[in-house]
Amino acid sequence: MAGFKPQFYPGKSKVAANRKKYIDPSYKLEKLRTISDDELVKIMGHRVPGEAYKTTHPPLAEMGEPACPIREMVEPTPGAKAGDRIRYIQFTDSVYFAPLTPYMRAWLGHTRYRGVDIGVLSGRVPLEARERDLEKVAKELVETEIFDPARSAVRGATVHGHSLRLDENGLMFDMLKRYVYDKKSGNVVYVKDQIGVPLDTPISVGKPVKEEELRKRTSEFRVDGDPFRKDTELVGFIQRLHMLRTEAGFDSSKVKGI
Amino acid sequence: MRLGNLLIFAGLKIDRNKTLERSPMAKYTDKIELYDDRGRLFASKVPLEALSPLQNPAIQKIVSFVKQCVTVNLEGIEKALATGELGGKWCIIQGRSLKLDLVKNADSIADSLKKTLQVSKDDDTDVKVLKGGKHLLVKVPAKRLNAGVEYTTGVTSTAAALCCSIVENFKVSIWNADLIHSAVWGRYPQTMEMLGGNVSSLLSVPQQNEGMGYALRNVPCAHIALITKKNAMNAAALSSILEQAAMFEMGDAIGNFERLHLLGLAFQGLNGNNMVYDIVKENAKSGTLGDVVVSTVKRAIADKVIKPMDKLSSGYVPYTTDDLNLWNAYAAAGMLAGTMVTCGSARAMQHTPSVFIYFNDLIERETGLPGVDFGRVAGTGVEMAFFSHSIYGGGNPAVFHGNHIVTRHSKGFTIPCVSAAVALDAGTVIYTPEKISGVVGEVLSEVPELREPLKYVNEAAVSIKGGV
Repeated sequence: MAGFKPQFYPGKSKVAANRKKYIDPSYKLEKLRTISDDELVKIMGHRVPGEAYKTTHPPLAEMGEPACPIREMVEPTPGAKAGDRIRYIQFTDSVYFAPLTPYMRAWLGHTRYRGVDIGVLSGRVPLEARERDLEKVAKELVETEIFDPARSAVRGATVHGHSLRLDENGLMFDMLKRYVYDKKSGNVVYVKDQIGVPLDTPISVGKPVKEEELRKRTSEFRVDGDPFRKDTELVGFIQRLHMLRTEAGFDSSKVKGI
Repeated sequence: MRLGNLLIFAGLKIDRNKTLERSPMAKYTDKIELYDDRGRLFASKVPLEALSPLQNPAIQKIVSFVKQCVTVNLEGIEKALATGELGGKWCIIQGRSLKLDLVKNADSIADSLKKTLQVSKDDDTDVKVLKGGKHLLVKVPAKRLNAGVEYTTGVTSTAAALCCSIVENFKVSIWNADLIHSAVWGRYPQTMEMLGGNVSSLLSVPQQNEGMGYALRNVPCAHIALITKKNAMNAAALSSILEQAAMFEMGDAIGNFERLHLLGLAFQGLNGNNMVYDIVKENAKSGTLGDVVVSTVKRAIADKVIKPMDKLSSGYVPYTTDDLNLWNAYAAAGMLAGTMVTCGSARAMQHTPSVFIYFNDLIERETGLPGVDFGRVAGTGVEMAFFSHSIYGGGNPAVFHGNHIVTRHSKGFTIPCVSAAVALDAGTVIYTPEKISGVVGEVLSEVPELREPLKYVNEAAVSIKGGV
């Protein structure tokens, strides 16, 4: 259908505009830091850099597939083709103006990446995919504007901290102290992998983004930032949706002219 | 059987291209285009009600087969008798065993089982020997079921008749007959179900149903995927038929709610208007779940199911509809397509709950209209995500069904997607569908109507389309 342009998200606030921008896959996320492939592999801790991918089943070409029109049509991802294990990267996002809210990770993840399994919990968001696909996705998630070294963190376990006060260096609390602030360089440095196993060599994920910049980039509504209730368009949208759900639940055939 | 445009079904010759006049009895004006699992047009302008479980002969046959068809694991009985492991794992009665060559003599057992089950000589009783005698597929005559009120007649009469056959054929003494009973029936009646038994059907015992009318929903997706030989379109179709037929039995699909379920069955389960196939095709090579949402919305706009309202101050345009039931069917078809693209590209079943939540979140934010089943699927997805990702126990999607405590809430719209996802998995789970389903899925895949439901339901719909 020509002329239809996806709109992704309603709302007239800056936060709503940021949400729309991040969910829209045609918007190229701004790259703010570089983490090498090997460093990322070390932080995730699923394999040693250079090690072959472990498999959960033989490559599809070798094992053959059942006669199914959907399998014939739908192109498997490179990881699925090779039979890679399914692995994860998990993030915790501080409530203090982190670039993403937990739900945003799922929304943008599903519009930007294929074959991903994302789950949202109050303090953590795992993204699971075939291992080589995961590594590609994880790179963008850590290197671009949707990650902040101080307010977002890669945490596989013991994720507690998203709603706690920031420390004296502006870092989100981490009970496992996976990362430290290097005062000399001003960088946040990971000294443990995502589940807390010490790394042989520290890995820098760069400087924390400045507070003013974070407030500009955030997709979080906050009463001391952009309050949700001020975005009357978005509030009205959500209220309409909930009313429609309720009325349709009562009798969907009678909901007309909505 | 097809002959050009002529379809020969149940002895009737019907021209598929000829539109028959709608009977004044039809409640709904909706007409559906029927397609097969490969996106080929089968028939046009078929009234919605021709796909109703109340009208469609193939759906009724499928429901009957689910009650009538029973599987017997002869190899399992032989092994249980030989080892004394009766009534479940590690439940061994020391010093008691019986060596009977059941598998070798499967043909004679099948003969006497058939004779015992038959009500009259020419009735619909059938016993098929499969896998060199390891398994039997038993069809209990409809007359036996009709003479009672409970669907358990299928397993009870098969188990009892099998005990009689083995005792007779192998001249088992009074001192060993109890072993035969335990090997066939398992630990029942000490347990509620036939724990460790070797006679099973798709249906669980009524005490395991969550509520009234849940019987057809209590079929794990592992069975569905294996019965349909992992053809995702047929897996979704069979699941949808069982789920939506259950809606009639549960008291959901009646009055003002009937059309909601019929449209869901037609568009999501049975690929009506080729919607599921088209949307998958559009996103097959590189599409994301978000792209599937966009394709679904585009289709709804093009078909005039939804239309734009006035622009809001941000430039966002909410959509409206006068037919929420039809919109729900479009969204449900899109969600199945989204499952097929997401789980299909990863060749993994675990993504289903994520699709349930975020397909709906995204389509709601794209249109301002409620998601599938008006929010119930998104809620179901949240629970299923917890219970299928080792967080609070549970299991992989293959163990889920419409009677499951965390997936029963959506009324027929989630489980077809789970079955399709299980069918598309290339082997990522520890407890595989084959392990979960045991012999049931494999044996019941011998029943053509269960294995390829789309084909049979389409043919039956065409055969009655003038009469609904």
